[in-house]
This record gives sequence, structure tokens and C-alpha cells, in this order.
Amino acid sequence: MITLFIAVPLVVVLILNLLPRKLANALSFWCGMALTVISGVYVLTTSQSSWLFGFDPVKRILNWEIVPSDLSAVMFVSIALVVFSAFWVGQYLFSDKNRQFIFNNLLLLCMVGMNGVVFSRDLFTLYVFLEIVAASSFILIALEKTKAGIEGAFKYVLLSAIATVLILSSIALLFMTCGSLDYHTVRACLTSGQLDAGASRFALFAVCLFVAGLFIKGGIVPFHGWLPDAYSSAPTAASVLLGGIVTKAAGVFTLVQLAQNVFGFDKPSPVLLGFGMLSIAVGAFAALGQKDFKRMLAYSSISQIGYIIIGLGSANVFGVVGAIFHIFNHSVFKTLLFVNAAAVEKQSGTVDMDRLGGLSNKMPVTGFTSVLAFLSTAGVPPLSGFWSKLLIILGVWQSGSPTVAIIAILLSLMTLAYFLSMQRRVFFGKLAAGLEEIREADFRALVPAVVLAVITLVIGLIFPWLLGTFLVPLESLL
Amino acid sequence: MTVEYLLFCLVAVPFFGSLFLPVLGKINERLRNIAALALMLCSLGMSCALLQVIASDQNVVFTMGGVTLFYADKLAIFMALVSQSLGSIIILYSFGYIKNYEHRNEYYFMVVLFLAAMMGLIFSSNLLWIYFFWEITAIVCWRLIGFFREKEYVLRADKAFFITVFGALMMLCGFLMIYSRTGTFDMQEIKAWCAINGSIPDLAVMFILFGILSKSATLPLHTWLADAGVAPSPVTALLHAAVLVKIGVYVFARLFVATFTINEIWHEVVPWIAAASAIVSACAALVENDIKRIVAYSTVSQLAFILLGLATGNNTGIVGGLLYILMHGIAKAGLFLCAGVVEHETHNKDIRKMGGLIKTMPITAVSFALCAFSVMGIPPFGGFFSKYMVITGTIDSGQIAVGLTFVAGAFLTLAYLLRAFARVFLGVSRAADDGHGLPREGSPVMVFSVALLAALSLLSGVLIQPSFQFAQSAVQQMLSR
Repeated sequence: MITLFIAVPLVVVLILNLLPRKLANALSFWCGMALTVISGVYVLTTSQSSWLFGFDPVKRILNWEIVPSDLSAVMFVSIALVVFSAFWVGQYLFSDKNRQFIFNNLLLLCMVGMNGVVFSRDLFTLYVFLEIVAASSFILIALEKTKAGIEGAFKYVLLSAIATVLILSSIALLFMTCGSLDYHTVRACLTSGQLDAGASRFALFAVCLFVAGLFIKGGIVPFHGWLPDAYSSAPTAASVLLGGIVTKAAGVFTLVQLAQNVFGFDKPSPVLLGFGMLSIAVGAFAALGQKDFKRMLAYSSISQIGYIIIGLGSANVFGVVGAIFHIFNHSVFKTLLFVNAAAVEKQSGTVDMDRLGGLSNKMPVTGFTSVLAFLSTAGVPPLSGFWSKLLIILGVWQSGSPTVAIIAILLSLMTLAYFLSMQRRVFFGKLAAGLEEIREADFRALVPAVVLAVITLVIGLIFPWLLGTFLVPLESLL
Repeated sequence: MTVEYLLFCLVAVPFFGSLFLPVLGKINERLRNIAALALMLCSLGMSCALLQVIASDQNVVFTMGGVTLFYADKLAIFMALVSQSLGSIIILYSFGYIKNYEHRNEYYFMVVLFLAAMMGLIFSSNLLWIYFFWEITAIVCWRLIGFFREKEYVLRADKAFFITVFGALMMLCGFLMIYSRTGTFDMQEIKAWCAINGSIPDLAVMFILFGILSKSATLPLHTWLADAGVAPSPVTALLHAAVLVKIGVYVFARLFVATFTINEIWHEVVPWIAAASAIVSACAALVENDIKRIVAYSTVSQLAFILLGLATGNNTGIVGGLLYILMHGIAKAGLFLCAGVVEHETHNKDIRKMGGLIKTMPITAVSFALCAFSVMGIPPFGGFFSKYMVITGTIDSGQIAVGLTFVAGAFLTLAYLLRAFARVFLGVSRAADDGHGLPREGSPVMVFSVALLAALSLLSGVLIQPSFQFAQSAVQQMLSR
């Protein structure tokens, strides 16, 4: 288990770099395919009991254990899915073999980092893996060495450094207070009530620092400044990865994990609800004004993360299950939209929506899958995004804030508004002048698009039957 | 095969079948057309088979893997039969109409998917499923209104989608409110809950009404229908006017008449909303010059009659409302298809530039007149009986003023439909010769569909007895607690 998710990719990267370059170029893509498919299938087919797996020969430095948690399973599947798509898109977008190779390597490293974040059961281990994710993301953003790319990466480095400082100081403070960084111990220490008033205020301060750091990593308003630049200036293959999973794994999932397992947020939290609603609103309104396809998707991510946060803030079964499920859904539909953006960019040479139009006449698969993706984002049935939003809203409603729930529902109309405008300007309508020669993207962009579209549609249709078997056991979290 | 599976297949066959239509279309156009019609007829056949069971006061419930999906009673089967028959005629008419346009595969896929989603909605046993299928119909409409891809049409499609989704989200808020009160989305359980605890919260009723008004294009959320009626082919316009907008009134009947107990005040408020809607849109129809806009506004106006009938809360009114769903569906479908034939042949929608068409297109003209008579409520057409019962029901419930307003609305209907008929079919031709030559009668399939609908509106009035009795027993079942 642990070897498959962390050691093997790491070793693969090492070996690939030792091999002759020509062979390694060809191999890197197929290694990535094999790893993502195997890990995805492994998670889905492994029964719960075999997840009980301890690994602690190096417990003093790195501590991880596999707990029987669907939370991790959902996350592993999402990671595998997004990395899988990113591999295909990288293959499709980069014509330079060398760059393709570097990209594939970084992708594998990033995957190691994200898997590690999910595995960690110790704050310091978590920190190490977060940094692996961040470091590989910096390079991915700046991969093409364009001015915009480097600027985007620089902003990300800067804000990420602040997040690092916050998280590290918080870890130090928690270590001082609790004497250990193990999740169980810290939780016991924070929730037992044995701390005196001073120490407990100290601990609260530490928790706040940590959460602020994660807010930056997750791109939650008002800490979102880096995100639109990073997403839109990165090569689109890297945007697939960033938009699809990186901020979710590094920021939001970690927040869910810590809030539930370590900090013990068991009461509805007005702070999380407030920040979540702010993200939803700001992201949606900002997205409405964008001309750049990828920038619009970036703001849409901010808005959708807001939904995850309010689900978490509701601190009840519906809300948290909805939040986790929305992480998965978001990684499916946002990846799909970025894959579509990659296809549009490569085929037409631009992502400026004012210069596009009527593309679904010439690119039917891309056009159709983008419709499914945006409807799922807007939470329109019969797509999977509807169910996760519904669970979140139910959770928020039951946590005693129906007004917040109603506002959140009505704000999803904004999601619909900006995506309708995107559809109108890019895909629906008459073909724009100068695009008569445009053709459908080749199979390397269509494979991930079709896979993701089928997933969002099928899960949307069979969800009521999934709820009882796969998602409700998540209840054990609470 | 047991009856439960019949109910499931009724929805599932067209729903999943529609996915294969684009594939079939790639192989052979004719095959796809026939397959589309076959899917609808198959579904219609299953409804007829189900009718045998339901008519004997036996309700059918379909459960799958512990999730209750569909529930069929008399109201549902009545609605299903109406929409399936109209849907089959629409598909038949499309054979002639749509063959010259692009994106035919998408068209058939969307129309069949729409009708399937409509079936799903009608038989939903649960508020969430209603919402689920409701939104599918909204998506399909969005694609169909923007079908020709002109910028203006796509904008109108976006408008329609936006308004209906807004309504649907409000409705979802209402559903959640009911859930938070009753702890269930299942309509049978909510009915039981209402029997013990009295009426559901007024705020929830208001939220759900938003959804119903937006879908049924009733004031103040009616604006999208006129635009949707103008933009695309008359076939899709018809789909909206004759079938889609009935979703809203059906849900009204299903929730507020058959399931929930609501506060008395709503039986007074909703008729007034309907009255305002009827008068305003009738006046709009009176001054419009675009033939399809006239018919679209007429739809808004007539829907108010249906809503009024259902909202009166007494037996006569509700039976009238239900019957008018049927009668209006047939007659309005006929009007739209006639307008379609006229537009298709004259390449014009402005009634000021038409005239004298009765000489060249006699069958269309007569069909238009017959359908118009039914909508106006002239005996012995079907429209007369239903309108009469709706207004009687209103008077019975003591709302004389509303009743009188609707009588005025009925006069306005008479005025604008006669005006349209006179301008289009009578007098001398005012068309500038645009090189198309004299307009001729439409293609045989199109004229056949039109004539069929006209004959049906006459027959449904002359032979009112069976449909009346069925509506009567459906209402008894709905009102029994």
C-alpha cells in the first residue's frame, strides 16, 4: 500500500532519470499511466479491512498509518484521476519531448507529495509533504519560462512561503503545548480540557495560524490573490493538475482532515461558514467578469472551494460527507473543464473568449463534455455536482443556519450565469470568424475528457444507491 | 413482467433510448427518426397498459435497491397520457419540419430526452426526484431554444434557462424547508405528516410557487416564454407551449392539491396571481404582430386558467383545470403547428405582411380556426367545457371578482385569436413578392399532424364523457385523505 503510493513513484522518477533520455521519454508517460490506473483500481477494489496497516519503523521522524477511512480512499481516487488526465494533456500539449519529460517527472513527484499528505498522521510529516507538493507546483507553473508563467510562480512562491511560516510556527507552538505532533496525541491534548487557560489560548492561537496557512494554500478569499495568476499563466497541462487537485489536496482536504481528526471542530463554525460564503460570492462575481477562459475557471475554483468550506463548517454528517464528495466532484469537473480549455487553446491558439465562438460545431466532443462539466459545477441534476451541493446545503441547513443555506443555493445561480456566458462565447452559437479551419482535438485530449464526463454523469445517475454503500460510512469520521 | 417494472420502463426506455439516437443518426437518418417515434410510442403503449391497473383504484410504486423511485396514480397517468400523445405528434411533425436544418441528431436526442424526463417528473415519488427531472427538462429547453445557434437565440435560451433555474432553486429551498420540518422528501410520508400536523409553512409554499410560476410562465416570471416561442422552430416552441409549461401546473396539482395541506390564504392569493397573468398576457397578445409571439402570450394567458382551476380547491374547479391541461395541450399544439406551417411556407412571422392564405393553404387555415375555437372556449369544443368548469369552480368558492376577471380574459382570448386569424388567413395578400413564389400548403406529414390535432380538439369536446369521468375520478383520488 504505502509502497505503491509513495515509494514506487519516487523510485520510478529516479530510474527514469538514470535511463538514456530517449527511452526515458517514451517510458515516462506509460509509467505514469500504469501508476495512476493501478492505484485508482487498487483503492476502489480493496476492502476496508486491509486498510488497517501500520507503518512505523521510522516513527520518530516520519509517522504515517493507514486508517480505515473512506476519506482517504476518495482522495486517492481523485488524485489518481487528475494526475491521469494531466498526463494525457501533457502528452497532447507539449511538442518539445524534453519538456514533456520534465513535466511527467514533476507530475509524479507532485503525486507522491499529495499521496503523502493524505497518508500523514503527524503534523510534521504533513508539512514535509505539503512542501513537496508546493515545490513541484512552482516549477510546473514556470515550466514554459514565459514572463507570465514566472510571475505566476513567483506570486505562488511568495504566498506559499508565508503559509509555510504560519504552518511551521503553528507546529512549533503545538509541539510546545502538547509535547507531540501525532494526530491522536494533539487531539487528545486539545480536546481533553486539561490545558490551563493560558495554554489553551496559546493552542487556539496555534490552530488559527495553521488554519490561516491552509487557507492560503487552498486559495480561500481573502487569501486567494495568487490563485488566478498561477492557474491562468501556468501551461494548461499544469493548470489541470493545479485546478483539479493540488489546492484541494494541500489546502482543503488537509483542513477537513485536521478539523475533524485533530482540532476537533465538532460544533458548527461561524468562521468557516463566513469564509466559505465570502469565497463563494467573491469567486462567482469575479468569474463573471473574466475574458480569459482559464482565469474564469480559476475564479470558479475559488467559488467552489467555498462550498466545500461551508460543508465543513456545518460540522454534521451531511455537510462533511458533502464536502468530501464535493472535493471529488470538483476534481472531476474542474479537471474536465481545464482539459477542454487545453483542447481549445491548442486547436485555436487562444483562450480569449471574445475571439472564440461556436466551437462545438467543429469540436463536438469537447463542446459536449464542457456542457456536462459546467452543469455539474453549477449543481444541476442529473450530474454528480448536484448531489454534493445538495448534501452540503442540507448539512448547513441542519446546523442551524437556513439563511446561509438559502444564500448558498441562490449563489449557485451565479455559477450558472458565468458558465452560460462562457458557453455562449466559446462553444454554443455561430462559429467565430477566423476559426473555419479548426478541428477537433486529437485522442490525447479526448480520452481524459470522455472518461471524466462519463464519471460525472454516471455518478450523478446512480448516486442514491452509492450514498448508502460508499459515502455514509464516512459518518464514522464524526 | 410485473406492473412495477412497466412503470420503470415507461421512463427508462425513452430516457436511455434517447442516448442512442445520435449514434443511429450517424448510421441512417430514417432509422433514427423511426426509432425516436418508436421510443415514444412504446412509452405511450406502456402508459395505456398501466392505465388498466390504475383505473381500478390501485396505485403502483416502483422501488429499486431500497430507493423509492416512481409512484403512479390517476393524476400521474392522466398527465402522462396527455404529454406522450402530444409528444408523439410532435416527433411525427418533426420528420417534415426539421429535415432541412443542421444538428438533427441533437434535435431528436433532446426531444426524446425531454419527454422522458417529463415522464420521470410526472411519476416521481419524491420531492428530490421532481427537482432532478425538472432540471433535466430545463437543460433540454436551453439547448432547443438556442438550437439555431444565432447569437440572439442563444441569448434568449440563456435567459429562459436562467429564469427557470432561478425558479427551480427557489423551489429547492422550499423542498429543503419542508424536509427540515418533516424529515422526509417522500411525498406519501409528507401527506401522512400533513394529516397529523396540519399545513406546511407558508414560506415553503411561497418558495415552491416561485418554481411553479417560472416553469409555467406565469406573471411575473413569464417573460422567457414569449422569447422562447419566437426564437427557434415552431416544433420546439410547441414543445414549450403545449407540454413543458404544463410541468409547473402539474407540480402544483401534485403538491398543493394532492399531497400537502396548505394554508387557506393560498386559495385566495394564487387565483389573483393567475388573474393578473391572464389579463396582462391577453393584452400583450392583442397588440403583438408576430404570429408566434401571439400564440406564446396566449399560452401564458390560458395557463392562468389552468392554475386558477387547480387553485380553487373545490372539485369542479380542479376537474376543469385538469381537463384544460388536455384540451389546451391539443389546441395549442395545433395553433403552433399551424403557425409553423405558415412560417415555413411564407418565410415570414409578421401578421401585417400576410393575408388571404386561406385560398392557398385551406387545410391549415381550417385547422387553425378549429383549434382557435377550442382555446376561445366555444361550444362544443373541448376548451368550452373546461373553461366553464374552471369559472364555475371559482364562483362556487365565493370569489366572484376573480371569476369575472377571467370572463373578461376569455373575451380577450376571443379578440386576439380572431384578429390573428383574420390577418393571416382572410382578406387579400399583403406580402411583398420576395421571390419565393406563392405560399403553398405544407408537406403532407405536417398538414396531417395539424389536421389531426384540429380533429382531436373537436372530438375531445363532442366526446367529453370519458376524459371527464377519468378526470373526475382522479380528482376524487387526489382529494381523499
